[in-house]
Amino acid sequence: MSNEEIKIKDAVMEKIRHDEIKMRPTIYYIGGSILMLVGLVASVVLSVFLVSLVQFSLRSHGPMGQYRLDQLLGSFPWWTIPVAVVGLVAGVIILRRYEVVYKHNAWLVVSGFILSVLLAGILINLTGLDNIWLKRGPMRGMLRNNSQTQTFEDFRRR
Amino acid sequence: MIEYEEKTDEELVEIIRSVDRELFSVIIDRYEKKLFRYAFNLIKNELKASDIVQEAFIKSFINLKGFDTKKKFSSWIYRIVHNEAMNSVKKYRKEVPILDDMDFQSNENIEKDFEKKEISEEVVQCMDQLPLMYAEPLALYYFEDKTYDEISDILHIPPGTVAIRIKRSKIIMKKICQTKR
Repeated sequence: MSNEEIKIKDAVMEKIRHDEIKMRPTIYYIGGSILMLVGLVASVVLSVFLVSLVQFSLRSHGPMGQYRLDQLLGSFPWWTIPVAVVGLVAGVIILRRYEVVYKHNAWLVVSGFILSVLLAGILINLTGLDNIWLKRGPMRGMLRNNSQTQTFEDFRRR
Repeated sequence: MIEYEEKTDEELVEIIRSVDRELFSVIIDRYEKKLFRYAFNLIKNELKASDIVQEAFIKSFINLKGFDTKKKFSSWIYRIVHNEAMNSVKKYRKEVPILDDMDFQSNENIEKDFEKKEISEEVVQCMDQLPLMYAEPLALYYFEDKTYDEISDILHIPPGTVAIRIKRSKIIMKKICQTKR
């Protein structure tokens, strides 16, 4: 065994014995994962609403356009913005510290995730899939209950 | 400590985490030489390689409870060394540029050299000039005896890319060695 090897082993073991380095508790990793998950969920909600808001404002002309836009803005989940930012930033910082393995990929994964949600939203709108889902298919009930179109149609019926 | 010599890395990690942190010295014994050789192949500097290995052991101990024992410990610790080495490379930026004008014609001689495990001084010198993105998978495959899947885990690239880089690295090395002669 060379001197260099003994030096590394001794240096590391000395630090361990003298409590200069300690293992991080398991709760640290659980906390990081939870924060990351909360941040990701909030960012999905935020992205979906942002995409619909932008698309809606682009075609908000016509009867009751301003009213529909106000309705959408009124129901916008503003809480998702701080939750998404805090969750993602804190989650990535913690994960970067403990999961050294993913050190260089954490931000890439998060930005890729957000980008794919945004792209998916735009694609759904461009292909008219949201309108098809609104009329038929398994998503019909959910979309009709939550869409601004429902509110506008209700308003018109009255 | 002798009874622990038989245990796998993952079993040992479980014991270190919950019972006896002193057994981390067994992990150091198992990996010190291999990690030093790997770091030295990336950095080409004994002192820096030694610092990288020491820092990697410290980080792995601190984060030991974050390691998933269902996975391979060796891939995990190699990845930590890889990260440390990359940080060091970025710090001292001395990376050899990728040689775009290289011609990728297949040649088996270099492969045979490796397979025979008779790596001459000349081959090692040629490898020093190989760009890091090719030298690293090549070193892991031939010097550290890692499989494509393990290299894929360590470098975070798909196994197919590992295969391509190893194949190309042999061709580039052949070219470098020929130019040197």
